[in-house]
Amino acid sequence: MSHAPAVAIDSSQYSGRAFARLTGIGAALGVVGLGAALALSGDTQQFYFSWLVAYLYFLSIALGGLFFVLILTVTRAGWGVALRRVVENVMATLPIFALLFVPIWLGRHELYEWTRPEVAAHSPILQGKSPYLNEGFFFARAIFYFVVWSGFATYFSTQSQKQDENGDERISARLRGLAPVGIMLFALTTTFATIDWLMCLEPEWYSTMFGVYFFSGSVVAILSVTLLLVNFAYAQGALRGVVTVEHLQDVAKLLFGFTIFWAYIAFSQYFLIWYANIPEETIYYMKRQVGSWKSAGMFLAFGHFLVPFFFLMPRAVKRRSGLLVAIATWLLMMHFLDLHWCVMPVLHHDGIQLGATDVAAFCAVGGVFLAALGWVSSRRALVPLRDPRLPESLSFENV
Amino acid sequence: MGLVPAMFPEGEYFGLLAEYDSPKALFHACEQVRDAGYRKWDAHSPFPIHGIESAMGLRRSRLPYVTLVCGLTGAIGGMALQLWANAIGYPMVISGKPFFNWQPYVPITFELGVLLAALSTVVGMFAFNKLPMHFHPLFGADRFEKVTDDGFFISVEAWDPKFDAAATERLLTSTGATRIQLVKRREGAAS
Amino acid sequence: MMEIADNVSHEPVSGRAPLILGDPDFRSITEAVARPAESPTPLVWWLLFLPALGMLGILGISVGWLVWEGIGVWGLNQPVGWAFDITNFVFWIGIGHAGTLISAVLFLFRQKWRTSINRAAEAMTIFAVMCALLFPGIHIGRPWLAYWMAPLPNQMSTWPGFRSPLLWDFFAVSTYGTVSALFWYIGLIPDLATMRDRAKTQARRYAYGFFALGWRGSARNWQHYETAYLILAGLATPLVLSVHSIVSMDFAVAQLPGWHTTIFPPYFVAGAIFSGFAMVVTLMVITRKALGLENIVTLFHFDRMARIMLVTGSIVGYAYSMEFFIAWFSQNPYEQFTFINRAFGPYWWAYWTMISCNVLSPQVFWFKKARTSMVIHFIVSIFINIGMWFERFTIIVTSLHRDFLPSSWGMFYPTMWDFGLLIGSFGLFFTMFLLFVRFLPVVAAAEVKSVLPAANPHASDEHVAPALAGHLAPKGAY
Repeated sequence: MSHAPAVAIDSSQYSGRAFARLTGIGAALGVVGLGAALALSGDTQQFYFSWLVAYLYFLSIALGGLFFVLILTVTRAGWGVALRRVVENVMATLPIFALLFVPIWLGRHELYEWTRPEVAAHSPILQGKSPYLNEGFFFARAIFYFVVWSGFATYFSTQSQKQDENGDERISARLRGLAPVGIMLFALTTTFATIDWLMCLEPEWYSTMFGVYFFSGSVVAILSVTLLLVNFAYAQGALRGVVTVEHLQDVAKLLFGFTIFWAYIAFSQYFLIWYANIPEETIYYMKRQVGSWKSAGMFLAFGHFLVPFFFLMPRAVKRRSGLLVAIATWLLMMHFLDLHWCVMPVLHHDGIQLGATDVAAFCAVGGVFLAALGWVSSRRALVPLRDPRLPESLSFENV
Repeated sequence: MGLVPAMFPEGEYFGLLAEYDSPKALFHACEQVRDAGYRKWDAHSPFPIHGIESAMGLRRSRLPYVTLVCGLTGAIGGMALQLWANAIGYPMVISGKPFFNWQPYVPITFELGVLLAALSTVVGMFAFNKLPMHFHPLFGADRFEKVTDDGFFISVEAWDPKFDAAATERLLTSTGATRIQLVKRREGAAS
Repeated sequence: MMEIADNVSHEPVSGRAPLILGDPDFRSITEAVARPAESPTPLVWWLLFLPALGMLGILGISVGWLVWEGIGVWGLNQPVGWAFDITNFVFWIGIGHAGTLISAVLFLFRQKWRTSINRAAEAMTIFAVMCALLFPGIHIGRPWLAYWMAPLPNQMSTWPGFRSPLLWDFFAVSTYGTVSALFWYIGLIPDLATMRDRAKTQARRYAYGFFALGWRGSARNWQHYETAYLILAGLATPLVLSVHSIVSMDFAVAQLPGWHTTIFPPYFVAGAIFSGFAMVVTLMVITRKALGLENIVTLFHFDRMARIMLVTGSIVGYAYSMEFFIAWFSQNPYEQFTFINRAFGPYWWAYWTMISCNVLSPQVFWFKKARTSMVIHFIVSIFINIGMWFERFTIIVTSLHRDFLPSSWGMFYPTMWDFGLLIGSFGLFFTMFLLFVRFLPVVAAAEVKSVLPAANPHASDEHVAPALAGHLAPKGAY
């Protein structure tokens, strides 16, 4: 079997050192955030809810990274190889989410009412669900999710790094064969994790679409993060001429498409529940139309769909990295609003109440995520140097 | 447009037609003709050649704007029609929902937007291309039927300001054309 | 270029396998594609066409009798007000979606292999939509009043009920039919010009020439053409998602257990693509053999189509599991009963046909041997379509025949006229497809030529990437 030769890129363009700064920033942010969060943790319920939102936010990005890498692998995509390593680095942070899950487990009685025996005792519905909704199985499932996610993320990123050293083409073939299995397991674990951690905040409500909804948001998130990370690398003097405007245009096209996909999924779920008007289903949206939740929801529809739809339509916009940074940042803010709107109405019944605890928890989780990302990135090249399809990716041009 | 003979300026000749034997040859020839300053000319091939628009110095097509405007018109018109018809024109209470709501009108709004966008794209493309044009002088040229098979051509029209039968022919020969012919204008049906 | 006998047994890890075998030049593509329509009709064609025509006749009789006597000739009753009619409607619309996916979505994803099959697939879409539109048209009881669905000002001052999913269907499917037909026709123009320029008789030249609109391969024309093609592809993609989503809403906006599920829209779309690809495979296995197009529609193409069937079949399987899990999880006794009734009630045989055909049979495509075997493709694709027909039948009939009130429960038994229309719709479909194969170029010759390596004006010029010095240009890369 053959070995792909090393492609002669200037080492300053691919050195992971460019991301070393993130480790420090992340660590500082994490410490400050954690400290503040603990200081504010007098209101324990608020603390756990804020932590949950922040956790799901960064988890969705890391999971999106796993999905993006698996899809690039299974479709044998040529265009994306140049930026695949950046995405792999995001996915490689998945193992720390097991650690970050600890507060959610500790706070489960405050977050999930079904874990409280006195609630379950009065609800025949919850009793009926107990074969699935019991703490032991809940814990075991969480372990399973982390094992699957960390397993695939670590394997794919370490194998890719190994290929940097020996250029072994068999690695590509092996990963290609494993990727479909990864995607199937990803679909199942992500769906059930969404059900467990997000949908079961309201354990008497249900929607078959919910896993797909979370997934659609996470793809928008990872594409936005990819744009930001590439531009961050540019600012550090790396990846110039390696990841070009052609690649960014493709990421922007995907972002355009998946913004529409998110809107389609979100609307489908909302619309079908609205139309049939069945109280045990509509309660979900009724809660989210009280007080300022209503305007938050409308703003979400406007900001998460209409704005990026028209903004990303022109070809010229998709080729200007400054504009792409702007829309990526905007969409990441919208993604936060999305998750906030999903989670917080369970705690704050009357309206949106963004507070210091939300910011602190966001900084805590985000800081740890960034630190991990920086640490992982600085240890390897920013480009899969001896991937057999790298030359194809580097010379890629849009029509 | 249509079955009416193509409207071209007066003159006995349509122009020069040069034949090439590969897309690569045609591509480089186009660059040279463009650089020589010709404006009323065209390249012909059985399939679109990647990048030939820049080799010919063409501006991007304006068709997307047509699509956007008509698509939005369709969508807004569709929403307006439904709101008017079911809330004002003949209001009916259906499953207790309010008269004015936007949710059930989304599907048709979307469909009408896409329909008008697609129709306008097709009509716009034909308009920009001045098609149908069943009768064109080039159809009378020798071997031009190869253009839909495996032939590659450049045609330079006689009323281009820089056109000169001898000079233009010399230029085309220098670009590597395998055959050059002077094409007469012909009224009526292509042979 | 790599000299290999086939393009699928060894998948390169760098570079790309050739899409068209035999290292052809442009002329041989023209010959291969145009020749069948110019040759005398082969016997095989008549052997297929006459039975198709016969089935079309059955359609005519069934429709005629239905319009004369009324919906009572079918097995419909209370509670089962929809059965074969809507099953067939959703079945045919679903099949149509593969054509648009191949034309539009694969185009947007730059999958060049689509050029060998997109013409046939788009034609299939149009014929499938024709078959589909038949059913809502005739099932409304007074088909001569079908125009009432259009928002035409009238003396009664009434307007269509825009809030009804059945009306969204009317707009969605008409838009879909129109856009698909336009997309197909636009794609045909350069190839019609080819047929025109090769025509040996005056009649043929005028026939092809009229519809070729005077196309002369002008680069300026190609530019607007390519822009239009890209726009239409960009429009057709959300369109195809929306059409089957709207069709799924016929069921999902109801309150019926088994129908009211939020995942229906993407689930139906995935199922539609699944069954559509299966039909493309069924048709192309025969067509490529009959017309000698094995070097253009190659094993690589079938390998890719098999993978897409595996993906969409898995999405369908995911949706089945989600429905099943949430039905239990919801603790709603009506939902739970519906799913138990599907698997173990009077229509259990339909349900298990669906599961074995949709979930089990495509699993063979995990194996490369299966993905590149014409026999397996033909058999499995037919199973998939049988399974998908039964899926719609299961969804519609099992939820209707036993819902909330046991005293309202009933059974549905099809009559010969139900079968007549089902068989007849296949007759319409195959008749149209055979006519298409006989008279029109089955492969998009111009598009295939444009993806040959020789079509690249920079072939053997090395495009040097900005960051690199002295890299190797991959051979045969696209």
